[in-house]
Amino acid sequence: MKKNAYLKMAIGNKPQGKETSTPAPAEFKLIGKPTPRVDGKLVVTGRAMYTHDIFFKDMLYAKILRSPYASAEVAAVDLSAAQNLPGVKAVLKLKEGRVKYEGEQIAAVAAVNEKTAEEALKLIKVDYKALPYVVTPDKAMADGAPRVHDSANVEKINEYSRGNIDQGFAEAEVTFERTYKTAIEIHQTAETHASVAKWDEDELTVWDSTQAIFNVRDGLAEALGIPETKVRVIKMYMGGGFGSKLDANEHTIVVAKLAKETGRPVKITLSRKENSLCVGNRPSTQITIKGGARKDGTLTALSFRNTTCGGLDSGDQCSEPTIDVYKCPNVKVEEFTVFTNTGAGRATRAPGHVQGTFALEGFMEELAAELGLDPLEFRRKNYTTSNEGGTGIVYSSKGLDKCYDIGAQKIGWTRRNLKPGDGQGKKRRGLGMASQIWWGGGVPGTLADIKIHRDGSVEAVSGTQDIGCGTRTYMATVAAETLGLEPQDITVKIGDTVYPWAPISGGSLTAPSVAPAVRDAALQAAEHLRGIAAKKLSVPAADIVLADKKLFDKNKPENSIAFKDLVKGLRREAVFHGERGPMPAGFAYNTFGAHFAEVEVDTETGRISVLKVVAVHEIGRVLNRLTAESQVVGGITQGISTALFEERVLDENTGKMVNPNLQTYKIATSMDMPEIVPLFVDLVDPRINNLGNKGLGEPPRIPSSAAVANAVYNAVGVHLREIPMTPDKVLKALRGKEAGS
Amino acid sequence: MKNFQWTEPQTIEQAIAWLAKANGKAVLMAGGTDLFTEMKEGVVEPDLVIDLKSIPGLASIQKDKDGVHIGALTTVASLAADAMIKLDYAGLSAAAGSLATPQLRNVGTVGGNLCQRPRCWYYRDAQMDCRKKGGSQCFAAKGRNKYHAIFGGGICHIVYPSDLAPMLVALDAQVTISSPRGERNLPLAEFYSLPAKNVRRENVLAPDELVREVKIPLAKKGTRSAYVKLKERETWDFALVSAAVRGTVSGGGLSDAAVVLGGVAPIPWRLGKTEASLKGKKLSQALVKEALRADLQEARPLEENGYKVELVEAAVTRALLSLTRPL
Ligand SMILES: Cc1cc2nc3c(=O)[nH]c(=O)nc-3n(C[C@H](O)[C@H](O)[C@H](O)COP(=O)(O)OP(=O)(O)OC[C@H]3O[C@@H](n4cnc5c(N)ncnc54)[C@H](O)[C@@H]3O)c2cc1C
Repeated sequence: MKKNAYLKMAIGNKPQGKETSTPAPAEFKLIGKPTPRVDGKLVVTGRAMYTHDIFFKDMLYAKILRSPYASAEVAAVDLSAAQNLPGVKAVLKLKEGRVKYEGEQIAAVAAVNEKTAEEALKLIKVDYKALPYVVTPDKAMADGAPRVHDSANVEKINEYSRGNIDQGFAEAEVTFERTYKTAIEIHQTAETHASVAKWDEDELTVWDSTQAIFNVRDGLAEALGIPETKVRVIKMYMGGGFGSKLDANEHTIVVAKLAKETGRPVKITLSRKENSLCVGNRPSTQITIKGGARKDGTLTALSFRNTTCGGLDSGDQCSEPTIDVYKCPNVKVEEFTVFTNTGAGRATRAPGHVQGTFALEGFMEELAAELGLDPLEFRRKNYTTSNEGGTGIVYSSKGLDKCYDIGAQKIGWTRRNLKPGDGQGKKRRGLGMASQIWWGGGVPGTLADIKIHRDGSVEAVSGTQDIGCGTRTYMATVAAETLGLEPQDITVKIGDTVYPWAPISGGSLTAPSVAPAVRDAALQAAEHLRGIAAKKLSVPAADIVLADKKLFDKNKPENSIAFKDLVKGLRREAVFHGERGPMPAGFAYNTFGAHFAEVEVDTETGRISVLKVVAVHEIGRVLNRLTAESQVVGGITQGISTALFEERVLDENTGKMVNPNLQTYKIATSMDMPEIVPLFVDLVDPRINNLGNKGLGEPPRIPSSAAVANAVYNAVGVHLREIPMTPDKVLKALRGKEAGS
Repeated sequence: MKNFQWTEPQTIEQAIAWLAKANGKAVLMAGGTDLFTEMKEGVVEPDLVIDLKSIPGLASIQKDKDGVHIGALTTVASLAADAMIKLDYAGLSAAAGSLATPQLRNVGTVGGNLCQRPRCWYYRDAQMDCRKKGGSQCFAAKGRNKYHAIFGGGICHIVYPSDLAPMLVALDAQVTISSPRGERNLPLAEFYSLPAKNVRRENVLAPDELVREVKIPLAKKGTRSAYVKLKERETWDFALVSAAVRGTVSGGGLSDAAVVLGGVAPIPWRLGKTEASLKGKKLSQALVKEALRADLQEARPLEENGYKVELVEAAVTRALLSLTRPL
């Protein structure tokens, strides 16, 4: 999915609805409580079916030959030797002409096993003519650099301004400029990309490791020139996507073609190396922020300039936090992308916000120090309740101030070094924090059904996908809550395009889209059952309560009928179609949070240990405290991992990535994780939807690297301004500080 | 992965016979934790894999009057857990415990650890025709070399990645090597060889030789050892720099000292000048800094690995100072 399309989706349709007719109650019995995952047992016992597990008896295995060159002319591809290898059932040429990155598809093979397919790849003869390339932004921007596309290597991708930036700086008593850098991060999902394609006559079924079954369906239909009605996409369980699995991938289209040609199911499982090279990454950034403030901490101007690199595709727009979070009348933004001969960037868990927050929050911390202010007070001083830094529309709900209060208290904010670097000794401790904003309002038009069978069993159905975030569990909880049942009573059916439409599982959209749709369907179901019960129990329908697997008169609870007995009398199974309604116009719908980190820096070895993170989020109503907490732990894990370790390393001399594996592309281990305290500001958005909930997929990922970097600054008195903060960089920064530069 | 034959010899003699017959086209496999990654990547493509695990009696730790014998197939985990090793050679126990992850330590062996191949990312990419693989250039010299050698590189800038090797060298260990010609013993320090000698190999084993055991001299009274490994993450990481030290504590200093580094050179890197300047003097951070000066002057960092020089100082200081700390 193009990042712009992703952002558009995340921001949501322009709010245009009226207030929701069924406002959310303040308190629920099940919703908001810690409910264990309904599918937890299956997952931890290894019985959940991931795409990697899909198997058919006559299945073939596909492998793809990929360019070893960052740029080359493919003059000829000779498939004959591969075709003649026993066990090979089909060979496809995928490319002739120019290839533009290491890992680009050249040809594909389907064979009776993976080994034969691999051998066949070696028999394909490709006549490459290596061409000049650029793989790093610096080289790509240099004069006379080889062009990646036909157009220039640098392109403006965004600009924004409000107020008068020059006047803002003129009003400032302190002006300050800093540059922050973030490395390219690879999604590195535990389950690498995988697809299985199978044709029955002219109908294609694809099992895909995806966050977006409908996107895959539509993309396949388009690529193959067949109607969407002839494509069915299934995804039951998935080991991570983080934004890299939002479309019909090239390799998925390839297996669909190979399956068609061979008349047999074909499976492809990408290797770790392919996963590192070809299916996306988080673009790097170099962001310069110049800010002006009055001595009391009032911001007067913010200028933001980003140079981002997403390889063959555009990098990330990162200015949104700078535009929105702090009150500031004068803002100017310019963003540029640099193209290089490397795999295209893709949406990566909070695209743009992660990098933009690293820069903005680092800047706020450093500016606070320059002003001699408590960095938290400085942020409070510039607090807003409407978007565009206090110049736009009002937030429907915003609990960031409460996040600050709770977080500061829980981490013991007063323990920090009053001046960065005040500490003593070889090992220095420090505290830092960062604010977070993201969308997460959800997608109006999301569909879900509640189906009540005459034996009393109930289904909650939606074409959404659970990508590990607990979607199944809250669907069961919301349905059970509304119908007076228990989560175990609900069979959840998701992950199949034959079910009613739901959006991508990305953009923190799923919970605020799917849960309200289920709620809507369940409310209709409850209404219908109340009507029947009213007759049976001879009380007004309005007095009927659904609880404890019964329907009863609220004034005389013993006047009741069991849920099971009531639905026995239905003429047929009853289906209720729910839809997530529109959001009222005139408000901004956003999620907020603040992370507080404590670190220890070993000044002799350059090693940073994160000791504790307190994360406080405001996401409207929490649907399930247990899965919400685990979402936060996951976000912080990734945030620490990229703050300290993760980086795609490219070699300009050869045009290659040198660390396409998990030994050298380092990801945090459990031993690198600190104590994590996930907390929520319990408020209910009064109008966003019938549950008052917002999304949580991305928020905890956003401020965590920044909070850690700020804590390091507080510990040692020098801001690294660059992640990952590996020992070499830490030592260099410390020596730079000693030298007084 | 290329097809290969598999054999499970029952004796060392059979294993050696297979080796000799294969004429350089065979590889030995112990735990396989290193070998299989090389084979999967296509970096080595043997015709024959000789599984040493089928040979009984090679996985033991035994103490006799000559010293402590550690069989080549002893797992790293059992070395780390051995009570006698912990007591007499605390540094070795620490080095074993610092290595990789519990899963890898349970499978990986001491022999495999001492004979493992370098982790240089150019060497490990089958598509890169680097010197170590018979090509004509070292891509690290002017490439991405943050993890590469600061000493002894020259024509090939790999670092020897083993955690056990520097510690065993510091303990004056010997290796027992078996071949069709019989057995030979070598100080472990002489087992390793620099790229200048043979860039394709990291040790002096002939194609028909294998390591049968390692022998450490009996620990002298008052002699202590320590291992400090500096890495990027807390676990599952090779050393950026490690310091293996041994010393006999007398007064506030060391009457003799061995200081060997890991992660900085193509072989375990012994700091002879440092050792000499430490002798008999009162140990302090200042003394170590001073003692390291001459050896560190010989460091030839590449563009991205200058920080390792600083790490050497931190690792050696910490390791040495720990020797005089009360038990
Ligand atoms: C992710 C990862 C992390 C790692 N981290 C570390 C680390 O931190 N520190 C560290 O030291 N190592 C590390 N290793 C390397 C390796 O796993 C260990 O060194 C292990 O001890 C190797 O033992 P093995 O028995 O599995 O060796 P194998 O893979 O079986 O063999 C390794 C090499 O030695 C040769 N060989 C094996 N036995 C003999 C013998 N008796 N005589 C002659 N040649 C022999 C083999 O032919 C092969 O070339 C790591 C490996 C991985 C995959």
